[in-house]
Amino acid sequence: MADYSIWVCEYSYVPNYHKSGVLYGAHNQGYVKLPYCYVVIKGKDHVAMVDVGYNDKEYGKTLGDRFGVENWRDPKTVLAEVGVTPEEVDTVFVTHAHFDHFGNVEDFPNAKFYIQEREISKWVWAMSLPDRMRWMMTAVDPGDIVRGVELARDKRLETVNGALTDVLPGIDLHPAEDSHTWGSMWVTVRNDGKEQSQDTWVLAGDLIYVFENIKGPGAAVDLDEIYTPVGLATGSQTNLVLATEEMMKQVDYDSHRIIPVHEERIRDTFPSRISKEGLRITEVCLADGDISKVAA
Amino acid sequence: MSEADLFTRLTSVHRPDCEIFAEGPLPQPAPDPDTMAQTLGNEEAARYAEACRVPFEDLRRVIGQIAGLMILAQLSRKADIADLTELTVCRDRWQTCAAHLDTLRPPAPLAPHRDQLAAAHAFSGKALRSFDALRPQADNTPVFDDIARLVRRAYAHLSAATSPKAGLEMADLTHACCSCGR
Repeated sequence: MADYSIWVCEYSYVPNYHKSGVLYGAHNQGYVKLPYCYVVIKGKDHVAMVDVGYNDKEYGKTLGDRFGVENWRDPKTVLAEVGVTPEEVDTVFVTHAHFDHFGNVEDFPNAKFYIQEREISKWVWAMSLPDRMRWMMTAVDPGDIVRGVELARDKRLETVNGALTDVLPGIDLHPAEDSHTWGSMWVTVRNDGKEQSQDTWVLAGDLIYVFENIKGPGAAVDLDEIYTPVGLATGSQTNLVLATEEMMKQVDYDSHRIIPVHEERIRDTFPSRISKEGLRITEVCLADGDISKVAA
Repeated sequence: MSEADLFTRLTSVHRPDCEIFAEGPLPQPAPDPDTMAQTLGNEEAARYAEACRVPFEDLRRVIGQIAGLMILAQLSRKADIADLTELTVCRDRWQTCAAHLDTLRPPAPLAPHRDQLAAAHAFSGKALRSFDALRPQADNTPVFDDIARLVRRAYAHLSAATSPKAGLEMADLTHACCSCGR
């Protein structure tokens, strides 16, 4: 029995992203493709998303010109591949406030947004620091926070303090403070609806970029594999490793059940297809009675 | 980019009926990034663009802080947000920004650009002053509505003054998830 279908939907990508950004210490090891994706969770009379991407109207030229981001498509186009419209999305879990995750709230007019309160309060704190500490403000657009003001006025923004169980039936939020960002969180789907679930999926946000963050090279310490954290951490890599352990506990150490949205190779581990726009749709699981969106 | 293109950009970001335009004039078209880049060959324009970086960064932070503090005040229903150190720092930066703006000497074609920065400063100042109207155990909805309107207006003016080629950008992407490090 599965309550929810889950799809990872690519909306853009960077063809050549330096590997050290996704894997701590991987200096001079070349480049990897970095897909930009959000996650759609559909079932129990809800359509939810994990993150909403960014708005090309605001950033497209800058990103295209300077950072090689290519093939951005709007949510209407991307979500149509899984039979969903942006207007149908009723819930959004914002894993963190970086622009490529929280930068397109206006395209989801009926959604209620959940974000960790710490993610906002610490960004406000960081913005109060002297200019020499500006690094702490990286990748956050004040405009995204301004749009958060609008959400708050419309009572469509919910700040969360720590963990939250059953925010939708069988869906939980878990904080990872001072890790990738100040108030990052991950989303857990207990897809059988049970408290002690045997069908758990972890949607990791940017706490896990690629498979090697869970199964990194361990030869230096005489192990086959060790957790090797993400390269970019406003908090600390230690907290990323601790969060990885918590996520692994939730899936009974079956790393296959932790979904890294920036990982191109999930196309090899889950059924996937490429849309006519050249973007990947990956089907993590299907709710009972739902029809595959990737089958030929 | 022509003025017509800029108009398209502004109107595609903000609907014509957007309440952000309800008070006072529209955010005025400022020299867009391409135009500004072309004028950077002029020494006076280059000096102006360089001098803009400090007040632009001031405003970027002031606006972000006002927005964040308003969200926290509204969602936590705490009026004592007005006593936070962060708000004091924000006010100090707003004051400092005024001094920085006073030193800007744009060449005539770039005067509208400075006007956008000045408008962003003026509206963020109004938003900051509105925090004083928050009252404990009161319905502060009208105050929040005011702050929201003013900070969006300030952001619209600052957005009109962005210029990536001059280093005037809303998001610092130098170390961002999207940055390829090149």
